[in-house]
Amino acid sequence: MIEYLLLTLGVLIMIFGAIGILRFPDVYTRLHAATKCDTGGAMNILLALAISIEAPLLTKLKLLVLAFLIALINPMISHAIARGAYKSGIKPQTPVVDMYAWDNP
Amino acid sequence: MSRRTLYLRQRLETIKERTLFEINVSQELPNWEKIVITWVALFIFWIVISGNTRTENIIMGAIATLITASFMKDLLTDDIRYRGHLIEKILSFAFLHAPQYIFIMIFRLIESNFKVAKHALLMDINPGIVKIKTNLHSDTGITILANSITLTPGTLTIDVDKKLGEAYLYVHWIDVKTLNRDKAGEMIKGDLEEWLKKIFW
Repeated sequence: MIEYLLLTLGVLIMIFGAIGILRFPDVYTRLHAATKCDTGGAMNILLALAISIEAPLLTKLKLLVLAFLIALINPMISHAIARGAYKSGIKPQTPVVDMYAWDNP
Repeated sequence: MSRRTLYLRQRLETIKERTLFEINVSQELPNWEKIVITWVALFIFWIVISGNTRTENIIMGAIATLITASFMKDLLTDDIRYRGHLIEKILSFAFLHAPQYIFIMIFRLIESNFKVAKHALLMDINPGIVKIKTNLHSDTGITILANSITLTPGTLTIDVDKKLGEAYLYVHWIDVKTLNRDKAGEMIKGDLEEWLKKIFW
């Protein structure tokens, strides 16, 4: 029962992430949608698989290791993309404040 | 400014750096504790990845991970500053601190997913890049703090600036509420920094 709930939640989170990538205005706000929704959706789906699979305990633990690696790597990649985009000259659109441009003119 | 104040400021900065270095060195773990902590982490990883629990596999893994841990003892544990006996450290990390962190991060992650869905549907965004100060000094601590900030609702770390023993983070905030550095830091970091200061320096 609970694995269907987790699977539905993961797929819904992925769909809202895709809508966010299509609707947000610039690179940085799109990265918000990509990073968080991918991490949350993939972790929910992997948790549902780990609960529902018919296998010994160590195979379930391997799926949890995969979820841990996704949670470790995904924010790092988004940080690298955001910093690379800023260094190559893509400015955020309509910012309230941009303190990074104050310190790195 | 005159030459004397410049000189005094340089002296002050060297003294500050020196005390920071002394604190760092005096709280360092001894060598055998580093080896044992690395060995435990690598051995758990070996068992989970190799996936069979026969006796010769476990003995083989223990020997191989011990040799690896004795070479790579500085890789994982260089920035850990943790008080107490070794067994107390491992048990309190496995049963007290790690579940606390996982509990905090699961609820933050679900909240951030719903918040992104709300922003995507209503488009009430108000983005900006703010600068916050952190009290951590080590590289590992700052890395884990920045990754956790990226997964908490509405924030994305862009860059880290370390100078003169102080570290600053540039954070892209999708809904800017305040421009004051202390208030913004309190709202963004929450209780994650308190948790990290128990383990890293």
